[in-house]
Amino acid sequence: MSKITRRRFLAGGVAGGAAIAMAPGKKVFAANLDGFPNGMGVLVDMTRCVGCRTCEAACNKEQNLPEPEKPFDDASVFDEGYHGHEQRRTTEGAYTVVNRYDVPGSEPVYRKIQCNHCNEPACLTSCFVNAYKKTPEGAVIYDDKVCVGCRNCMIACPFNIPAYSYSSAFNPIIKKCIFCYDTRLKQGHIPACVESCPQQVMVFGKRKDLLKIAHDRIRKHPGKYVDHVYGEHEVGGTSWLYLSSVPFEQAGFNVTLQKEPIINNVKDFLAIVPMVLAIWPALFTGFHLLATKGKKHGDDHSHDQQEGHES
Amino acid sequence: MVKAGQTFITGLTALALSLVFCFTSYAMPDVITMDQLADLYDGVVFDHETHTMMTEGCAVCHHHTLGGPVFNDYCAKCHDGSEEVATVACSDCHSKERITAGSMRLAELESPFHDDLPDLKGAYHLSCLGCHQEMGAPVGCTDCHSKTEAGNKYYNSGQFAPTGSQH
Amino acid sequence: MKNLIKSGVKPHDATMRADGKKWTFMEKMLLGLSLDQYIQQALRNKFNWLLALIFAIGIPLIIYRFIFGLGAVTHSSYDYPWGLLLGFGLFCMVPLSASGFMMGTAVELFGRHDFAPIERLALLNGLLGYFFAVVFLLVDLGQPWRLPYPMVYSFGPAAVLFLVGWHVATYLSVQVAEVSTAFFEWIGFKRGYEFIRKGTIGLTVSGIILSTLHQGALGALFVYAPGKVHPLWYSSAFQWIHFFVSSIPAGLCMVICVSTIVYHTMKWRCDDRFISNLDRITIALAKGAAMGLITYFFIKFLAVAHDNEWAYLATGWGLWWLAEIGFGVVLALAVLSFGIHNNNANICRIGAFITVFGILLNRLNTALITFNWNLYQEIPHVFEVIITITIFFIYIATYRFILNRLPILYQFKARADGQ
Repeated sequence: MSKITRRRFLAGGVAGGAAIAMAPGKKVFAANLDGFPNGMGVLVDMTRCVGCRTCEAACNKEQNLPEPEKPFDDASVFDEGYHGHEQRRTTEGAYTVVNRYDVPGSEPVYRKIQCNHCNEPACLTSCFVNAYKKTPEGAVIYDDKVCVGCRNCMIACPFNIPAYSYSSAFNPIIKKCIFCYDTRLKQGHIPACVESCPQQVMVFGKRKDLLKIAHDRIRKHPGKYVDHVYGEHEVGGTSWLYLSSVPFEQAGFNVTLQKEPIINNVKDFLAIVPMVLAIWPALFTGFHLLATKGKKHGDDHSHDQQEGHES
Repeated sequence: MVKAGQTFITGLTALALSLVFCFTSYAMPDVITMDQLADLYDGVVFDHETHTMMTEGCAVCHHHTLGGPVFNDYCAKCHDGSEEVATVACSDCHSKERITAGSMRLAELESPFHDDLPDLKGAYHLSCLGCHQEMGAPVGCTDCHSKTEAGNKYYNSGQFAPTGSQH
Repeated sequence: MKNLIKSGVKPHDATMRADGKKWTFMEKMLLGLSLDQYIQQALRNKFNWLLALIFAIGIPLIIYRFIFGLGAVTHSSYDYPWGLLLGFGLFCMVPLSASGFMMGTAVELFGRHDFAPIERLALLNGLLGYFFAVVFLLVDLGQPWRLPYPMVYSFGPAAVLFLVGWHVATYLSVQVAEVSTAFFEWIGFKRGYEFIRKGTIGLTVSGIILSTLHQGALGALFVYAPGKVHPLWYSSAFQWIHFFVSSIPAGLCMVICVSTIVYHTMKWRCDDRFISNLDRITIALAKGAAMGLITYFFIKFLAVAHDNEWAYLATGWGLWWLAEIGFGVVLALAVLSFGIHNNNANICRIGAFITVFGILLNRLNTALITFNWNLYQEIPHVFEVIITITIFFIYIATYRFILNRLPILYQFKARADGQ
């Protein structure tokens, strides 16, 4: 056994500390990640959409969804209202829907709704069985084999996208757009809805390229677009991006969303957890010792007294 | 609608000038069948002659490829007064493949101003439907081309309409 | 039961019978009555008829839910994925069950043995509340048989619900251990009793850790939904503290409420130690609850100030928020303080009931009423309401079944008194 003197120990410690401090040199680790660098996305140019609902039909066929209630060329769905005023939303049988929004003083606009495939998805971070996954290709997919059915992801999604197959008694699961991951995206192919669109409303590609295209379009056509790319910053950025000719709130978008990912709101609490785990045992054992100091433990202790009774 | 109608009439009145110009310079087909992408819908039998009589000029659709005055401000920046080019079909410039951000990047390398061209399907619809909307002309899908059986199956329409869909 | 006791029947309350023999298990289950006596007293009790009526309607509905799925008993809302079953069953039952760790901490950790007569009731209240919160959850989950997945199969440790799941599960075990002392006494398993008693401090400390975290975590669950929860009920920084702090008066007042109900309906089961200490303990609990409420009152306004949401107070939702605070916190606090000041346990009891309703209102507001405030309001399906009521009455029936038997309200004697 080698003798380590206190001084040598300290010296060693300082040297070690210095070595650790110097080792990474100039390398700085990024505090923020902007998602996968080569993640794909889709740019939706709402100025082009005419509400033909071909994308809905394409999605229905691609994902083998149930037969719709009305044909996909029926425009009467735009006039349907739910709960008084709510328009259609994604359901267990429709992963994408197109809605019409009447804009005062201008032609109505159409907006395609589907999962926006967030960079830091709230659904993913709220799932306690880790069913969700953000793939490097950009898709937010999920494993329905582990879904317990707590529906926390539906609470968390800022875009109200995930639906739930309530109708199934024995295998109800979450249902939402998966960016055609299994059948197309994985092989690098265009999603079904993008491919089907006659008006070329959507462009598929790397998100970073799409952002450039979006800003180029705004710049090249002054007055045509609102100077905002919806999804560039909303809740930490989304893979699907939108361009609009009318203010986004008039097309039913939630424009009050924060720029940070939803998970940032929860981090305050998550940071408390290890603190409570680490501090409470010592703190409360300390309280116990202080509070009961001087008293004989168990004095005036009914159950223990009664124990004495018995013996 | 009234406004669209006015535009329509203005278009008609502009007819004579453009007609003279077009007929004198080119051998123009009277009818064009556009069926390269026919699948869910039949091809469009396009009455080229009537449309040329209704529009301001060839460049409304053909941009700058026929020479002569260019209407689109964006195109006009470079091509005002450009020469006529060898071929003038839509599919000569607009790709039959769906355009992606990746293909747009490649296009940008060739010409920084032609990076955001629509693909053929987009070009047809954006151009035709865009004008039809402005002019107050028919805008329904089947107003221009009829749906095929595959199309009805795809849209759950016609003989494939969901039963009990009449609420 | 009152009549029986008047006629001289003694319920089971000791290890040995008066004649020195051990009670059989059957006798214990029948409270030491004969089978005839037991059935007769059960039939005489009008509350049993109410239970029978509720169960006759509700239990088939619960079975119906499991055969035909959630879609058959709820509105299958995509916008309100959490309906009444969780809004009430989970988010209300859990804070009302905070009594377990509060009283455990007071008695075992802080040595406040003057609370001992009510400690077991508080622990049982905690255990049953949590247990039935899990029952509500099982009914509401799409695939309840997968509930163990986050424990053993597929982990999502970044999720708040993962914490809730783990903490409720471990805390339930802690509570089972805490309450098991009463059970071991009752069945006469003395070594088990002693074994658990030795670990009391450890159990209590783990109880307070787990409670702090998951009471808070239930609040933090809503932090995922900014914009859906109304800003007045939402606070990304303070939500978990709101839920944790309000669970303290909720748990304490729930014990006051339960002890009040028990005192009026099951007095025969309460022993002298319980009855004679009850008023004093009620006032002491009310003091604790009042302290909790004052703190809660301040941090609620702190959150409004922190996010600068004063403007919302002038809206309709703001009035509703003020009504919740006015009724559930200010009025409750006033009544509790008046009761404490005048040393009047009955007034404290009224205050306790108001507090409990106030907390229920807060949780329902957060989870259901003000949720999606800018969409539309969801009225739960009638079947969902019936199922919720049914499970709540199963909870009451279980509560009563245990209170009737285990030494919760009374102390176990070595030998029953002679007739």
